[in-house]
Amino acid sequence: MDHGPRTTDHGLLREDHPSPHLAERVVEAEAGAARLWLLPTPVRDVVAFRGSFETAPDFATDDDLVQHLLADLLDKGTRRRDRFAVAAALEGRGAELAFYPDGLRVGFAGKCLRADVADVLALAAEQLREPLLDADEFVKEQARAVAGVRQAMDSTSAQASGALKRRMYPPDHPNYNRPFEVERAALEALTVERVREYHAAHFGGTGLRIAFAGDLDPAAVTEAVRATLGDWAPHGLAARYAPDAAPTPPGRVDVPMADKHNLDCRFGHALALRRDDDDFLPVYVGVFALGGNFSARLMQEVRDRQGLTYGIGAAVSGVAVEHGGHFRVSVSLSGANLERGLAATEEVVRRFVAEGVRADELAEKQETIAGTHVVGLATTGGLAARLLVNAERGFPVAYLDAYPDLVRALTVDAVNEALRRHLDPDRLHLAVAGTLPA
Amino acid sequence: MPAPNAPLDHAAFEFVRAVGGIEEYRHRANGLTVLLLPEVGDPARGAAAPVATFMVTYRVGSRNEGAGLTGATHLLEHLMFKGTERFNRERGTSVFQVLQRVGGQINATTWYDRTNYYALLPSEHLGLAVEIEADRMRGARVRDEDLASERTVVLNELDRGENEPLRKLLHAVFATAFFAHPYGHPVIGWRSDVETVTAEGLRHFYDTYYWPANATASVIGLFDRGAVLDLLDARFGAIPAGPDAGGGAEPLWVHEAVTREPPQQGERRVTVRQAGQLGTVLCAWKAPAGLDPDADALDVLVQLLSAGKSARLFRRLTDRGLSTHAAAFYPRLRDPGLFVLYASLAPGVAHEAVEAALREAAAEVVRDGVTAEELARARRQVVAEEAFARDGPFAVAARLNEAIAVGDWTLFPEYRQRIEAVTAEAVRDAASRVFDDDRLTVGWYVPTGGEAVDGETADGDASEE
Repeated sequence: MDHGPRTTDHGLLREDHPSPHLAERVVEAEAGAARLWLLPTPVRDVVAFRGSFETAPDFATDDDLVQHLLADLLDKGTRRRDRFAVAAALEGRGAELAFYPDGLRVGFAGKCLRADVADVLALAAEQLREPLLDADEFVKEQARAVAGVRQAMDSTSAQASGALKRRMYPPDHPNYNRPFEVERAALEALTVERVREYHAAHFGGTGLRIAFAGDLDPAAVTEAVRATLGDWAPHGLAARYAPDAAPTPPGRVDVPMADKHNLDCRFGHALALRRDDDDFLPVYVGVFALGGNFSARLMQEVRDRQGLTYGIGAAVSGVAVEHGGHFRVSVSLSGANLERGLAATEEVVRRFVAEGVRADELAEKQETIAGTHVVGLATTGGLAARLLVNAERGFPVAYLDAYPDLVRALTVDAVNEALRRHLDPDRLHLAVAGTLPA
Repeated sequence: MPAPNAPLDHAAFEFVRAVGGIEEYRHRANGLTVLLLPEVGDPARGAAAPVATFMVTYRVGSRNEGAGLTGATHLLEHLMFKGTERFNRERGTSVFQVLQRVGGQINATTWYDRTNYYALLPSEHLGLAVEIEADRMRGARVRDEDLASERTVVLNELDRGENEPLRKLLHAVFATAFFAHPYGHPVIGWRSDVETVTAEGLRHFYDTYYWPANATASVIGLFDRGAVLDLLDARFGAIPAGPDAGGGAEPLWVHEAVTREPPQQGERRVTVRQAGQLGTVLCAWKAPAGLDPDADALDVLVQLLSAGKSARLFRRLTDRGLSTHAAAFYPRLRDPGLFVLYASLAPGVAHEAVEAALREAAAEVVRDGVTAEELARARRQVVAEEAFARDGPFAVAARLNEAIAVGDWTLFPEYRQRIEAVTAEAVRDAASRVFDDDRLTVGWYVPTGGEAVDGETADGDASEE
C-alpha cells in the first residue's frame, strides 16, 4: 500500500537524548507498608505521584458507595485540622491532591513543587489515616453525591452506559451500574456511622503502592513516605465480588429522555478475559483497529465516509487482573440518523469480525499503539499513572519497556484468532439513550 | 552547536526575541512567525521524553464571522482534515492515517479568536507533521462532497452540545450580552448557518485567512532548533505571505473591522428551560480585553474566588449547601468579553438564593477588597500552575496557543511575573470597574420535569426553548 510521501527526519532528534528506558531509571523501594516506584525526570520543580491501597469492599452490601463517600470526605478535615486548614495547607503551596474510589482500591493523585513533597505527603497521610468524618460534613457530602446521581440522570452517555452494564453484569460485579433511582436511595440510606466503621476496618497499608515521577530525590521521598505511611497497619480483609459477567440474552434497551436530540448508543458484550491473559493484547490491538482512533474502521466509515456521527469508537473496557470486562462500541447519533447510524455501525462490526484485521491495517495500528505509549510517558502525571497501574497488575516495570515490542510482535493470525475467540456480533447488546425520534 | 539560549543565525528566518526560554523567529519572505521551546535535558535527572508538539495557530475564529457564516471557522477546521491532493484518505495518506500511524495525538480546535492544529508525536516524526501543515495551509481541497458528509457530523456535534444545559445557558448569556459583536454567537455557529453554508463560502474564508503572515507555528519538546528551522523553511518558505489583494493592498485581516459592542446600560436577563434535574445560575459582567491593564488582576480575582476549597465561592455557596459546584472564569479574549460567576444548584435550593449569593460575592470584593493572605495564596497557586504547565509539551502548547490568540505570546512566559506584580488594591480596583449591575447579564437554567422547589419563580426578559 502506498503510504505517500515521507520526510527524512535525520537531525530533528538530538542524539544526546536517548529514549527513556524505565526499568533502568525507576528506583523501586520499600518504605514500611508501602512499595514505591520512583522516577526522576528532567522536568523542573514538579513532582507528581499516584498511589492506591486495597480496601477489600463487599460489592453485595453497597461498600462501593460507602467508599465513594469516604473518599470525598477525606478533604473535609482531619482530627488535627478542620477542612479549611486542610485546604489552606495544600492551596497555600499551589499543590493538588485528590482521593478517589477505584473499584477494589482507593486511589490518590497529587502534584506539587519539589520543595513541598514531604509536607504534601504528610498531609495526605493525615487525611488517609485520621480523617475527621464529621456528621455535618457527611450530610453535605451525601447531598452532593445525590446531586451527582441526579446530574448523571441528565446525561445520555451515563444512561446508555449504565443500561448496557446492567444487561451484562450481576449487581455484585465491580463493573455493574445500579439504576439511578436505586443508587440514589442507597446513598440516602447511608449513615456517618457506616462510613466511620468502614474507615476503621478497611483503610490500612494493605497493598499500598505509590509511584512518583518528576524532579525528585528517591532517597528523600522514600524517607518521607516511611515517616508518614510506613507504619500504617494492614487490615487483613479480602474483597467480595463476582469476578465474571452474567449476561442476559442479547437485546436492545431504549432509555427515553426529553430534550436530548443527540442520542448516545452503546453496543457491547461481556469478555471472558483478564488483563494478564495471553489473549488480552491481541484482542486489545484488534479492537483498536476497529475503533481505537480516527483512522480506525468505525470512524473512517461511519463518520468520515457516511457523515452519520461526530463520535464513534470501540474499546475493551473494565478488564482487570481480578475480574472480566466487556467489548464496547459507542456511537452518538442525531435523532434523524438514529436507525441508519446503528445499522451502519453494526455492519462495520460484523464485517470486521468476519473478515478480520488486514496486514497493513495491523501494522499501522501497531505503530500507533507503540508510539502512543511513548507519548503517554511525556508528563510526570502520565508516568506516575502508568507506573502505578502496572504495579497494581503485578507486572514488572520492564513490562512498560517491552510493551511496544510485544505489540509489534503480534501477527495477523494471532490477532484474528483471538478476535474470533472473544468477539461475537450475535451476542451484542444495545442501549440507546436520548429523545427517540417519533 | 550553539548554547540552547543563543539565537540562531538562519538565512531564512530573522530572530525577533527570546522570552522565558521561548524564541521567536519570523520568516524573511512570507512573515510566518515561529516560536521554539526546546526541552533541555539534564543528564543528572534523566532524559526528557523524545516527543514534541507541532502546532499552527491561525488568527481567525468565530470573531471573524458575519451573519449567515456563523460556524464557518469551525466547519472549515473539520474540512481541513478531508485532505489535499497529496494527503488524503483515497491514497491512504489522510492526516489521521499518516500521523496516528506513528503514535501522534492530533486534533484541532476553534475558539473565538483563533483556530489551531496540533500534533504531539515522537520527535523523530516531527517532519511529517510540519509537511502536512504546510501542505494544507494552501492545499486543502474544501470540496462540495466533503462538506456534504462533514456538515452532518458537525450537526451531530451541535446536538451533543445542546444536550448540555450549561452550554446552552452559556450560548444564551453570550447572545444576550453581545447584541452586535460576533462574540454573541456560539463558536460552533447557529444551526441554520451550519445547515446552509456552501463550500464556496468556506473556500472564501480559507483563502482570506489561511496564509503564513496570519499564522504562528510553534514547536515544543525535544528537537534540534537549527534542523527545525531548516525544515520549516523547506516546507513553508515558498508559500506567499498572503492573498494578492491587488495594487499592493494589505490582506483583509490586517485592516478588518469587527463590529464594536455598544455600551451596556442596564441589567439583562435570560432563562433557558429544558428537561433536567438541577438548575444553574450564571452572572456575566462585561469585562476588558485580554491585554487590558486590568486583565492580570482579574485573573487573580478568578483564582481567589474559585480555586479550591479555600476560595470564596466554595465557602459562600458549596460549603453552605447552596450549590454542588461554583466557579469563576474570565476568558482573556482579543476584544472585551465577559467575567463569569456560576453555580450549579444543590437539590432543593432556589435560583434566587444562589443568584443573590453570587452577586454578594462580587459586591463583597468591591466593598471590602481582598486580604493579603488570599493574594499570597493566589500567587502561589499561579506559580505552581506555571510549573505544572511546563510539564510535557502539550500543556505548554495549549497555554501558548491562548496567548497567541489574545495577541501577545509573551503573556505565557511572563505570566508568573505579571501575576506576582498584582496588588490587593489592583484586584479591588479592577473588580469595581467590572462588577457594575448595569453591565451584568444574568442567566438561569431552569430544569423542567425535575423536582419542584418551594417558593421558586423563574422569570427572565428573554427565554429560549
